[in-house]
Amino acid sequence: MNVLGWLTDPFASGFMQRALISAIAIGIAAPAIGVWAVSRRLVYLTDAMSHAILAGVAGAALFGVSLVLGGIGAGLFMALVVAWLVIRARVPEDSAIGVVGQGLFAIGVIGVGLMSDPRALSHVLFGNPLTVTSAEVAVQVAVAIVVLTAGWFLGPLLAIATFDPLHARTVGVRVGLLDTGLIITLAMVVVVGLTSVGVLMAITLITAPAVAARLLVPRLSHTVLVACALGVFAAIAGLLVSYHLSLPTGPSIAVLAVGEVAVAAVLRRPWSRSPKSATDDWKGSVTGDAGDRRDETAAISTAGGGSL
Amino acid sequence: MAQGHALDGSPAIEAIGLGVRYSGREAVRNVDLIIGRGEAVALVGRNGAGKSSLLRAISGLENSSGQVIVHGEHCHHGAVLAPVAYVPQRSSARWDLPLSVQEVVVAGCRARGGRWRRPTSADRARAIQAMKIFRIDELRDSTIGNLSGGQAQRVLLARAFAQQPKVLLLDEPFAGLDSASADSLSTAIKDVCSSGMTVLCAMHELAIARSVFPRTIAMDVCIIGDGPTSEVLDPRGIERIFVRGAAPVSAVDRT
Repeated sequence: MNVLGWLTDPFASGFMQRALISAIAIGIAAPAIGVWAVSRRLVYLTDAMSHAILAGVAGAALFGVSLVLGGIGAGLFMALVVAWLVIRARVPEDSAIGVVGQGLFAIGVIGVGLMSDPRALSHVLFGNPLTVTSAEVAVQVAVAIVVLTAGWFLGPLLAIATFDPLHARTVGVRVGLLDTGLIITLAMVVVVGLTSVGVLMAITLITAPAVAARLLVPRLSHTVLVACALGVFAAIAGLLVSYHLSLPTGPSIAVLAVGEVAVAAVLRRPWSRSPKSATDDWKGSVTGDAGDRRDETAAISTAGGGSL
Repeated sequence: MAQGHALDGSPAIEAIGLGVRYSGREAVRNVDLIIGRGEAVALVGRNGAGKSSLLRAISGLENSSGQVIVHGEHCHHGAVLAPVAYVPQRSSARWDLPLSVQEVVVAGCRARGGRWRRPTSADRARAIQAMKIFRIDELRDSTIGNLSGGQAQRVLLARAFAQQPKVLLLDEPFAGLDSASADSLSTAIKDVCSSGMTVLCAMHELAIARSVFPRTIAMDVCIIGDGPTSEVLDPRGIERIFVRGAAPVSAVDRT
């Protein structure tokens, strides 16, 4: 088989064409929102939320209601319980996220276990783009368009709110509203990505291309575009590799996305450092040396997701 | 000294019985304050004396009791007051984000006009003007994480200036700066003061307060001194503010 055939032959059938569109849609939506999850240090929350969403999806499946609504409901429920534990019970934030996320995950596993189809848990956890329906693909494409459009309009506001939330509030930016919208969108992307890459792999596509893009490009505004390109590349390449090597598709996509971080780390443009007190002349040349500040939660989550 | 008297119309800042509490702890108590238009005032006090809380209450960031009136506009929690630009402590910002200096300064332009719109060319032109004033226009495309402390502070001042405010509230802008950076920042703040803008600056650097600000207010939850800087920060005043803690308002007092 020649290279062109290796690339195109798999997509001769309808289910593979749907899988391709589905993978591209999630490959765009997840990194586009992931850039903001990484920048706002919400990676651990998103990771735990992706586990908690399993409970909502399982409950929705058992009671025959919309999986998307069930998943988003569980994500929001988790965020509310975490906020309650942090604000009222003064539990440290990471502890609250860990406890609530794992608790809901356990409930979700029990719920999926009650389903009649024994393969359901595997599908929900790891996804399978080869089985997505046309309706599911349509929803994924719609979500990708919504995420990109919202990102275009709200990107500058998110940047302001991320850089300096106190100042942002004084110029009328509704920081709390933006954060709530961000968390809802993250939950929505995890839920609609469930059928393609599964709840556990969705977090990898949200995090890894965003981290790789942050290492490669020097501007937040460009990071979104590069992250989406990396997400689409990982999605398509993962689909092809899994097809030709008979590997599970979701994990193949995830491993490639994590591989992008490894390559970016080798080619990296160092993460910016915080300003320190330094003598500055009025004309002030920019110091050329760069630091190694890393978002540890993003790195840990990426490594963890990739190991699954 | 002009404290207590508006130089032109209503005062720039008027606080009546202002109080701020956090979880039952009183951070600011019963502050009555009048700052005239065009005044440059230093706000001094020990750590935890309520300086930052007072600035945030005037900015509308704190849920406070009492009243704050800025240029005739009543301020309440969550309100956006067009005449006010607040510059938080430099350490509260995320300098590791891959943003350019210009992207940060343009954020100040959001204070006027639609807040949900993307930055326009007019915003960028105003941001460039502000960067020129603070002599950071050559750094406009630099990544903020690569700036020195003094340059970063001037970026925040330029962002505030881009808001075209009448009142500038500065929260410890000199913290963590070495003497050369502090000197150049002092010059920048003197320029702002001479432009007729009202400036209220929380700070610990008493020598800079003496050289830049004609009036000083001392706080220890409530106001414990208010007057010409040379009098408030004389040796007896410094002992009262920083060593003995809150003391009855007496020698150099509010009028």
